[in-house]
Amino acid sequence: MSLWQKLACAALVLVVLASFAANWLAPAGYAHQYREATDAPPSRTHWLGTDELGRDRFARVLYGTRISLLLAPAAALLSTLLAALIGGIAGYLGGAWKRAAMAVTDLFLSLPWLFLLITARALLPLNVSPLVSVMVTFLLLGLLGWTSAARVLCASAALLRGSDFVRQARAAGINGRRLFWMHVLPNLKPVLFAQFWISIPVFILSEANLGILGLGVAEPMPSWGSLLKELEGLVSVGEEPWKFVPLILLVIVVTSFQILLSRQQEVAA
Amino acid sequence: MKRHNRQFRCPALSAPTAKALAVLVFCLVSICTRSLAQGGGLRFCLHAEPKTFDPLKVDDDASGAIRYLTGGVLVRENRQTQQLEPGLALSWKVSSDGREISFRLRSGVSFSDGTPFSAEDVAYTVQQLMDPALHSPTGDVFRSGAGSVETKVISQTQISIRFPAPVAGLAALFDQVAIMSVRSPKKEMAVLGPFMVGDYKPGSSVVLNRNPYYWKTDAQGRKLPYLDSIHLDIQPNRDVELLRFKREELDLINSLDSEYFDKVSASSPQVVHDAGPSLDSEQLWFNQVAKAPIPGYKRNWFRSTAFRRAISQAINRDDLSRVVYHGHAQPALGPFSPANKFWFNANLKPQIYSPETALKALQGEGFRMENGTLKDKEGNEVVFSIITNAGNKQREHMAVLIQDDLQKIGIHVNVVTLDFPSLIERMTQTFDYEAIILGLTNVDLDPNNEMNVWLSSSENHQWNPSQKTPETEWEAEIDRLMREQASAADLNKRKEAFDRVQEIVAEQQPFIFLINKNALSAVSTSVRGAAPVILWPQTYWNAESLMVAGK
Amino acid sequence: MADGHTQPLLSAQISVCYAGKPPVLRDVKFEIQRGEVLGLVGQSGSGKSTLAMSILGLLDKKHSHIEGEIDFHDSDLLKLSERELRALRGRAIALVLQSPLSSLNPALKIRTQLKEAWRAHASGSGEDCIHAMRTALQNVSLPADDDFLRKYPSQMSVGQAQRVLIAMAILHRPALLIADEATSALDVITQSEILSLFRELNRSTGMAILYISHDLASVAGICDRIAILHQGAIVECGTTQQIFDDPHHEYTQKLMAAIPRIQSSAGNKTHAATAR
Repeated sequence: MSLWQKLACAALVLVVLASFAANWLAPAGYAHQYREATDAPPSRTHWLGTDELGRDRFARVLYGTRISLLLAPAAALLSTLLAALIGGIAGYLGGAWKRAAMAVTDLFLSLPWLFLLITARALLPLNVSPLVSVMVTFLLLGLLGWTSAARVLCASAALLRGSDFVRQARAAGINGRRLFWMHVLPNLKPVLFAQFWISIPVFILSEANLGILGLGVAEPMPSWGSLLKELEGLVSVGEEPWKFVPLILLVIVVTSFQILLSRQQEVAA
Repeated sequence: MKRHNRQFRCPALSAPTAKALAVLVFCLVSICTRSLAQGGGLRFCLHAEPKTFDPLKVDDDASGAIRYLTGGVLVRENRQTQQLEPGLALSWKVSSDGREISFRLRSGVSFSDGTPFSAEDVAYTVQQLMDPALHSPTGDVFRSGAGSVETKVISQTQISIRFPAPVAGLAALFDQVAIMSVRSPKKEMAVLGPFMVGDYKPGSSVVLNRNPYYWKTDAQGRKLPYLDSIHLDIQPNRDVELLRFKREELDLINSLDSEYFDKVSASSPQVVHDAGPSLDSEQLWFNQVAKAPIPGYKRNWFRSTAFRRAISQAINRDDLSRVVYHGHAQPALGPFSPANKFWFNANLKPQIYSPETALKALQGEGFRMENGTLKDKEGNEVVFSIITNAGNKQREHMAVLIQDDLQKIGIHVNVVTLDFPSLIERMTQTFDYEAIILGLTNVDLDPNNEMNVWLSSSENHQWNPSQKTPETEWEAEIDRLMREQASAADLNKRKEAFDRVQEIVAEQQPFIFLINKNALSAVSTSVRGAAPVILWPQTYWNAESLMVAGK
Repeated sequence: MADGHTQPLLSAQISVCYAGKPPVLRDVKFEIQRGEVLGLVGQSGSGKSTLAMSILGLLDKKHSHIEGEIDFHDSDLLKLSERELRALRGRAIALVLQSPLSSLNPALKIRTQLKEAWRAHASGSGEDCIHAMRTALQNVSLPADDDFLRKYPSQMSVGQAQRVLIAMAILHRPALLIADEATSALDVITQSEILSLFRELNRSTGMAILYISHDLASVAGICDRIAILHQGAIVECGTTQQIFDDPHHEYTQKLMAAIPRIQSSAGNKTHAATAR
């Protein structure tokens, strides 16, 4: 393990621990409004200051981390699995299957997502708890985010299908399903890993943007996405640097994961 | 923030001293204006393409702005005093039955192309205005009953107009009617206002030039307007507008939101103006529609006066104004803000924030607290959702504050932001919502323009629209009072009726009025004579007497 | 082996064509006896691999057309269902391909690959599996310890990889092993080692081998009989001795001429394989 990997590991452990110790580190909670101290700079009581409604930013960052760090990877996993199944199986089966799957993927890419998401929101009841709302959002992201990866996987799987080791395995009498699971899927790993890691930050930001459609985390619960939204109207970087903490945290976490995983990939390859 | 009072007031001075001072001031002003008036050009933004230059067809803000600056009207509502002032008409008289108005007109006035103005032009304009084939949006407010409008030209300077039915607030309506020439070959481009359209580049700009034939003069007999031209940039993007204002490429911004206000104020406090509460209100209301797809027990809460009053009482309006609008808003009392000098009911009491009283009232109605959660008689937890349009940060923030306020009396609120079309669909088509926060924009002072909101049969009676017969006694009473004020010719009787409407609304809280936003604007220091007001057009209502220095 | 010569293990008579192209195999007819090593020699493009794939039923049925019959163990392979064919593949007929490194799955450990091959036809306990794996690895002179089983293909030499492939092929003691250019990609020394391994396996287990190659010389050392495939047809078939001593067909003669020789004594024909 190199120094960087150690650092990455330490950063992740620290972030995860802090987010789970949120109740203890930030006892005021993420929803309490200190209405006499709105938009305050960092102080002894509010380490990262307060937001526009006087809520402790440190608490919000910790609780937001908990939400996003659990749900974004879960959604990324879902979309990666879907991409693997749809792209991978179609590429492996080839022929009409492949054409059908690519047609579905193209259709998916060309659909007017905005309207579909609006419909999805319309189907949801209005009285859902913030947690359910954010979970549904990440589920939707997971269900929708597989398309571009599926194309790559389909092409890769089609190549693998004609490879010597798959032919050798077929000649050994191994049946189709096991061929796919044991011989095709493990070789799609690099593409799958890439899809997984790219999806996480994309999903975190998408969740924030879906707030416009009434999806995403609902008030007063925070997520990284909703915290990043605070940066929208900021005029200059220098004035209120503490507002950038959620962004810095996102960058640190994603980078750390990638440093750790690039190693795993090297081993697997 | 206090209102900027730009009026010169000095009660301690004796009359002769004041006169002497006035002469001195006059001398100073006239010295200044001579240098200022040279090449004075004002620049500001229209937020959309003007759809028409025909004053009778105006239906959008951009065209409205051009009509305000170019059109000559018989009667002008002074945006500062909110009083009617003579324009092209020296005086007017409304008949006792409210159906007829007669004007005595100014003589020696000409259109911008030199065509003389007479009573025939007024008759022509009114006929055009009421022509059913033309569908003039401006004419709609005059259509109080079936039948045709008769115009009678008595002399070159005298005319009377008779409507088929009484029209409420008749004289003030002529503030919107720009008089057109019956004879001028330039048709609607011949105007009677201080400016005339000079150059129009679609998608880019409209340039208005000084109308040399404009009749008005200042107190010293100098011809108005002072400005040589007004350059209107067509720019829908508010951020660009703000940026260009900061670069001093624009002289005014008519309406700022509180966030932008603070941003500008931080760097140059002398250019921003807070004219105090405007007519615009923000309100919360509950769905009282009988066939709405919501649980019956919730509908019972929402239709209960005590419940609505308790909610209203549990909302901390001072915090809404302070936290969300940074003080640039005032707690609202009812449909009309105190800024509406004549129509506001001054006897309305401010809503006192008191969660304790609210809770007590609810307990009196059979609600009870259990482990910090409020439950109704049947044991249902009091939970409801508030929807508002996504992207409106201030409404979202108000919803979150209200969520927190109501948690204190055990009510759990879910805040949902929706895209505007979905919100409107739920509000007007499916009625699938529980509570909404939205705003009402008021441009007119007269309550007659709000008939469509208050009549229970109206589609825009938001909390329970299109009722065949009023479902509650108080709605029946509001219907009656609104009709009464619409048909009464006597202003005081109308005021009495509408005062009562405001009281009923305060009692029943069908709309829980939250705040009135302040009218915020920005005016460059190079503009002289600016006195931003709360009424549209806030900064350039007195464009004819504005001056721009050092260009 | 008593009736070995009376009834062949496999007898084939097939024609294959791919859609819209001239036939790849034209009425190819041959037999393999039990325990026999048959060499199939032809240059690349002559249809050798197509023949191997036809026997295993691995030709893409949508893009190819097979006629004729392949009798194996009293049944016509061409008439079997995919399910029945799969039961034969790896158990009764095994395949070893040309390039050992690309024929092993780079993402799986040796243990996993062998286990997969074993599980395809057996459902015994884990111990049975380990036992079968060990035996097979010993048969191909590879270590059967855990260290070796934990290796990925990329961590082995080419020769080791080819032995692993062969171990995989003989895991279920097939009656017929098809080696499709199984030694062509190897260096000369490894090639000869693998060739003797085939010979050894043939002797010790009685497994018949269809040895497909473009290289007549390498075939000579292990084959009982040789069939020459030229332009999709078998032009000559006979014992190794016959082919080398007296090639009839023009193409065979060309092949013979192409073999580098060591001139031991003038006028005395020596085949290359004997020089090894």
